Amino acid sequence: MNVIFGLVILISSILLLFINPDAMLSSMLSGGQKALDLSLKIVVIHAVWMGVFELLERSGLSNKFARLLRPVNKFLFGKLPDKANDYMSLNISANILGMSGATTPMGIKSINELEKHPDTQYAITMFFVINATSIQLIPSSVLALRTSLGSVSPSDIILPTVLATLLSSVIGILLVKIFVKKPR
Amino acid sequence: MSKYIIPALFVLIFAYSFVKKVKPYDAFTEGAKSAIPFAMSVFPYLASIFVLTELFEASGLSDAVSRLVSPLFNLLGIPKELTKLVLIKPFSGNGALAILSEIYTQYGVDSYLSRCASVIYGSSETVFYVAAVYFAGAKTKNLTLPIIISLIASFASCVFACFICLVM
Repeated sequence: MNVIFGLVILISSILLLFINPDAMLSSMLSGGQKALDLSLKIVVIHAVWMGVFELLERSGLSNKFARLLRPVNKFLFGKLPDKANDYMSLNISANILGMSGATTPMGIKSINELEKHPDTQYAITMFFVINATSIQLIPSSVLALRTSLGSVSPSDIILPTVLATLLSSVIGILLVKIFVKKPR
Repeated sequence: MSKYIIPALFVLIFAYSFVKKVKPYDAFTEGAKSAIPFAMSVFPYLASIFVLTELFEASGLSDAVSRLVSPLFNLLGIPKELTKLVLIKPFSGNGALAILSEIYTQYGVDSYLSRCASVIYGSSETVFYVAAVYFAGAKTKNLTLPIIISLIASFASCVFACFICLVM
């Protein structure tokens, strides 16, 4: 990450020095502004979902739910600490249901919980890869955009998208299984 | 169908917590409390990634890289008009959405290129953003392997997208 970051900024700065020196600071500031906008959005989304999540936890519903997904989790991640198992089950279901607001708060809780235990590097990697290859079933923003631009059949792309996203998840899972050592 | 999921879920959650005699107001407030500290911990990572993305675009470096990898992408079946979308998506969802709507207006929503772009946009994830957010508060800082694996998997879905849009 440090290498990529350093190199891209260095090369970009050199280019800007010659083509458009005025754009340097303004584009960096606009990047910062975008980060702030997104952070505010994150506050809002998390305030709602973390609230709901606390309720799920206190009522014991999250635990009940996680028990249903235990076999799936076992196949993907190996043995998991109980609490992490709860969080991860919620994250994965939110992913499948396309509730993109809910996936992140639960994902972060999962990672923090996993880190408290030894030998969870494999589970952390697998968990990240599953989230980073998303298993969303309905690409709602694409559908909305297509409809607004007058597509004759906006939903044409649903099936190909589902297949493609499934493929990326399967490849990701396989690569983790091959390249990351699973603890015994 | 999917619009019913969230309200139905909330009915279930609140009804269940009534049965279990959990204090909903207390619990909700307690959970919501963590939102601001969390956003503060993510902000520096987001700032770095967005500054990077903006410079990458503004300097013309992204265009140069696009031109450079285009032939290689072409070999794998990704049309040259979509190279930029494939490159930007891992960094920025909004950036990719802007490119997507550009492609729609330029080539027509129902063209092969547009359908292909839709599938690429919908099936790949903003890998670097997810990494920044998920690991903002984490001790694990060595993310090279997970990020590379995710990028490979995402790229494979892009190649697949261009292929499947030919037949479907």
